[in-house]
Amino acid sequence: MSNNQEAAEAETRAPRSARTPVEYPVGRASEFPPGAHKIVQVGTQEVGVFNVNGDFHALINVCPHQYGPVCAGPVGGEMSCNAKTDWKFHWSRDGEILICPWHGLEFDLITGHCLAPKEMRLRKCKVKVVDGEVRVSLGSG
Amino acid sequence: MQTSRVASDGMVVVDCDIHLNDLPQYLAPYCEMPWRKSLEQLGRTPQRYLDIPGYSPSFGQTPPLPGGHPVRSVDTPQAMRDELDTLGVDYGIVLPDHLLLFATLSNIEYATALSRAYNRWLVAEWLREGNGLYGAVMACPQNPDDSAKEIERYAGVPGIVAVYLPTAGVDPLWGHRRYDRILAAAEAAELPVMLHSVTVTSPAFPTQLNQFENQFGRQVLGHPFAMMANLVSMMHTGVPVRYPKLNIVFTEAGVGWAPFMMWRMDRYHQEYRRSVPFLEERPSDYVKRQMWFATQPLEEPVNAKHLVETMEHYGGADRTLFASDWPHHDFDHPRGLARLPLTQEQRRKIMGENALSLFKLPKPERLAKKEKQLV
Repeated sequence: MSNNQEAAEAETRAPRSARTPVEYPVGRASEFPPGAHKIVQVGTQEVGVFNVNGDFHALINVCPHQYGPVCAGPVGGEMSCNAKTDWKFHWSRDGEILICPWHGLEFDLITGHCLAPKEMRLRKCKVKVVDGEVRVSLGSG
Repeated sequence: MQTSRVASDGMVVVDCDIHLNDLPQYLAPYCEMPWRKSLEQLGRTPQRYLDIPGYSPSFGQTPPLPGGHPVRSVDTPQAMRDELDTLGVDYGIVLPDHLLLFATLSNIEYATALSRAYNRWLVAEWLREGNGLYGAVMACPQNPDDSAKEIERYAGVPGIVAVYLPTAGVDPLWGHRRYDRILAAAEAAELPVMLHSVTVTSPAFPTQLNQFENQFGRQVLGHPFAMMANLVSMMHTGVPVRYPKLNIVFTEAGVGWAPFMMWRMDRYHQEYRRSVPFLEERPSDYVKRQMWFATQPLEEPVNAKHLVETMEHYGGADRTLFASDWPHHDFDHPRGLARLPLTQEQRRKIMGENALSLFKLPKPERLAKKEKQLV
């Protein structure tokens, strides 16, 4: 946590550069096993950090619908039904869909896009693991 | 009545909802036995307008009142032609009078025979080349299998341009999968389906209007409730997705209800997408692409501009079809639409050009002649 505060102060002091966003340490990778997610503070923002099948994804914890805490919602899969599924209900992509706890809007954790309406999307952040430490930087991911 | 053609500039006027008088004795000769006997018997019994038990059960509960305007019926195609001329209408799509209540009939065999008789009678007596009258094959919700065959039988018959879906008291509503064969047949025949309701009190949702003390209450709610319920019914089972070429026409409910339902469906689509995953776009996107709204009884706000703005939400002049509902009590004269602040192009589309292309109607002779003269 103190590392995170230092990073936040550094970002406040440092001249802003789109190329070198400040990286905020948010925990050890071992704290995020596949399927797990946590809401962490990154500077002034709450960010949801998700391990989806071994890949890390970080999203700002604000639902574009009514500004609810989207990352506090459950993670599930996608129900589909179309010509490709022979018009049968079909469940896929388990663990890749985030559901906002306020109104149930579904978001693709990989792209940030809402499943309906498609043009709505969550803001993603850059996330990487360095020496076993998960680091998030604000700005487009 | 004075002739009052609104189309002095050569505008085509297609009226997407006019009604012929379909008394049981008219249909009897076209009906199979033994149900012909039933129609003959009904023909010998005193009859009231839209109130014939066993044929058009209206479940009326309120007393007749003195005053009011007269009931009008049109009994022959020649009379209809003359009256449309007076109204300034080139073409009319005819729908029934009494059989607006068809879906409330519970005897499946009788309903099947009756729908077949109506279709035979319609083609034999009403649809003549050159008289400008076009018809809709009546679907029989009581017997979807036979109804699908009936649609196949009449597809391509001159003058048949649509499928009429009896909507008043239909149970279940038209989105139910038991009707898939009917909708598939209509789509395959490239015939738009036309939902048409009528004010009725029945146990079927949403026509339980029994608590209303007068016709004002029932009439205000009856038609738009039926259209809203059937629109949602069709959307919740993915009808426009499963039948992407099917055109769906909503009649006799005005237009103001449509944007409200579009926005409401869009809102809940966000929340319940996984229960309707076949809807891969907003519900309103399907409305704007595959659905049409007939004008009558057009709302009459003090500021007509507000109505035009309301229409724009569902596609405005591109999705709106003129309808008069002639000869019914709340008909809209074509002239009534003249007060709407529309561009000339929008007016042409609504009054007739949309319908010409939707129902694949030929250009009226009077306009074709005029064009020839210009060339």
